Amino acid sequence: MEQWIAMLLLVSAIWLLQIRKISDSVPILAFQSFILALTAGAMWYQTKLSHLLIAALLTLIVKAIIIPAILHYTIKKIDVHRRVERVTSKYTSLLISIILSVAGFYVTSRLHLPSTKFGAPYLPVSITLVFLGTFIMIDHKKALMQGIGLITIENGLFLVAQSISYGMPMMVELGIFFDMLVTVVIIGILSLRIHSTFESLNIVNMRSLKG
Amino acid sequence: MIKMEEVSLLLIVPLITAVLCWQIKNHRIGEKLQIIGAVLNVFIGLSIARNVFFDAPVTGWHHFIYIDALSAFNVVLIVIIGFVASLYSVGYMRHEVAERIISEEKVRHYYLWFHLFIGTMLAVSVVNNIGLLWVGIELTTLVSALLVAFYRKGTSLEAAWKYLIMGSVGIAFALLGIIFLYLSGVDLFGESAESLNWTVLNRAAGQLNPQWTLIAFIFVLVGFGTKAGLAPMHFWLPDAHSQAPSPVSAVLSGVLLNTALYGIFRIYTIVNAALDGKAAPYLIFFGLFSIAITVTFMLVQHDVKRMLAYSSVEHMGIITLGVGIGGALGLYGAVLHMFNHSMAKSLLFFAAGNINQKYHSKRMERISGVLKTMPVTGSIFLIAAFAITGTPPLSIFVSEFTIMTAGFQSGHLVAIVLFLLFIVLIFSGMTYYVVRMAFGEAPAKLEKKEIDRWSTAALFIPLLAVVIFGLYVPPFFQEIIKQVAFVLQGGKS
Repeated sequence: MEQWIAMLLLVSAIWLLQIRKISDSVPILAFQSFILALTAGAMWYQTKLSHLLIAALLTLIVKAIIIPAILHYTIKKIDVHRRVERVTSKYTSLLISIILSVAGFYVTSRLHLPSTKFGAPYLPVSITLVFLGTFIMIDHKKALMQGIGLITIENGLFLVAQSISYGMPMMVELGIFFDMLVTVVIIGILSLRIHSTFESLNIVNMRSLKG
Repeated sequence: MIKMEEVSLLLIVPLITAVLCWQIKNHRIGEKLQIIGAVLNVFIGLSIARNVFFDAPVTGWHHFIYIDALSAFNVVLIVIIGFVASLYSVGYMRHEVAERIISEEKVRHYYLWFHLFIGTMLAVSVVNNIGLLWVGIELTTLVSALLVAFYRKGTSLEAAWKYLIMGSVGIAFALLGIIFLYLSGVDLFGESAESLNWTVLNRAAGQLNPQWTLIAFIFVLVGFGTKAGLAPMHFWLPDAHSQAPSPVSAVLSGVLLNTALYGIFRIYTIVNAALDGKAAPYLIFFGLFSIAITVTFMLVQHDVKRMLAYSSVEHMGIITLGVGIGGALGLYGAVLHMFNHSMAKSLLFFAAGNINQKYHSKRMERISGVLKTMPVTGSIFLIAAFAITGTPPLSIFVSEFTIMTAGFQSGHLVAIVLFLLFIVLIFSGMTYYVVRMAFGEAPAKLEKKEIDRWSTAALFIPLLAVVIFGLYVPPFFQEIIKQVAFVLQGGKS
């Protein structure tokens, strides 16, 4: 069961590299966060550790509902139908993301990371999510998509902490959720400003600062 | 318990100041109010620091707050530079409004974000939990990104975006490092919030899992190093520091970089004890590399604020090198250098801000004869520039000399020879540009007048420190720096 959930997370991250319109990224991201909430929920069900339930609910509310809502609002203000632009072609990016996934699983198996009983199945995927999130940031040329990559990295880190030790201490976890929320708001504000100044979200336009 | 109330005041005052400045429509009242807030915080900060330096570390709120000499030192720097910058902002913003570059309404937003920014840095310095320290450092990025984007021009948006993205990714790696650090102690203390407390980790440093602490440290060094502008993760820094309004640049260079280093050093202290000193070479390498990178970029600069920003990369490198060399003397030099750099660099950014406003340009080839058009700013700019390049008898020379001596004594011969070579090159590059700006003929259309008395007055406070600390470091201050160095040694001599 856990393997299947983990695979869904992997698919969601690779999917983010295959989309055509920027607006497609929002439901995929919401889906990814929903699955993430599910993993925390499953771990809570198996261990009955109350802070895992809180983490699951917070993930659901903040990451699967509020953050996609903010992104949706931002994209609607810019242009819903705007297409994504990538550095590599669709097939190359698929190839690279598969290579990265294999690398993620390999690295995890070699690291001998200690893990918890119910979190262990998610560990390889969590590391892979960090890799793929980084690749999303590099591959996409639209400013907003870099933000999406950043959220994928954060989702991966959340899962790393979950599978290694059932999450960070509650206070810290809350702080990270808060930071995440503020980050997305600021990504939204800056994207809108970038779009109104450059008439585009393409970061290729932003190359005047050098040296 | 009076101490804890002071700590809450320290964090609440910037918050209240920010909100008040934002809400009060009359901007003449707003700008005075934000100065009052900043002054208040100077008193609170100094009072807390006095308790810590002359009594004992302050701890409270179920150990969530812990202020030792290192934290108090950072708090003092933040409140002082914060105060000078808020004083300077008055003149700077008045001029921007008069030139119709920004509207009065935007000035209110500026003060809002500015004081929130100061507040987040103070929060970073007083928390005990390393996870919360991470949360705080991420918040400083978010708030200051908006300040960098303040002018809403293409270049400032580009800089802010780069800063936000690079800062956040870097810091995500630091979070991974902190997760590993948590892991290295979780067998020892169990899964509680306490096990990420610096005090707990530092006490048990010897028993932590060495493999995990090393991996944790490398991630943290790269992560927070991005924020501190250590090369090769510094690419956002010159952009952000040159595009931000000058008072913000001063705070970014003067104290935000120190705050990021503070994060690295907190974790370094634990890790170095756990690894028996094996973490130090990493600091020496990144420190030297940052200084080396600066040499090449310094010689080809056209923008005065970019040049100052690269000089910050250099000085972060010097501080990191000093801590890496270690020993009582090396750490003493590094901590003194933190203070000296904060003062000299913020002074330079303030003076450069005046110059930019006068010449309507940041390009160095368009600036000449500053001494004639603005005698006060011009001469202070010249003094500060000589200070930052390490000319005796100014303050930076003293700390650089201390680090050098410590390096020779501890046998880091190659590192110190390289260090000397680099700073000589940087000295010649920077002096060339600065002298060209200060002397020479002034453009005929500029009249001889300072920008604003507020922004001129603000220059004198850091100037005092730059000049006095070059000639003489007061004994009480030496004592304070020794205490901070003692914390960096892990509290063991």
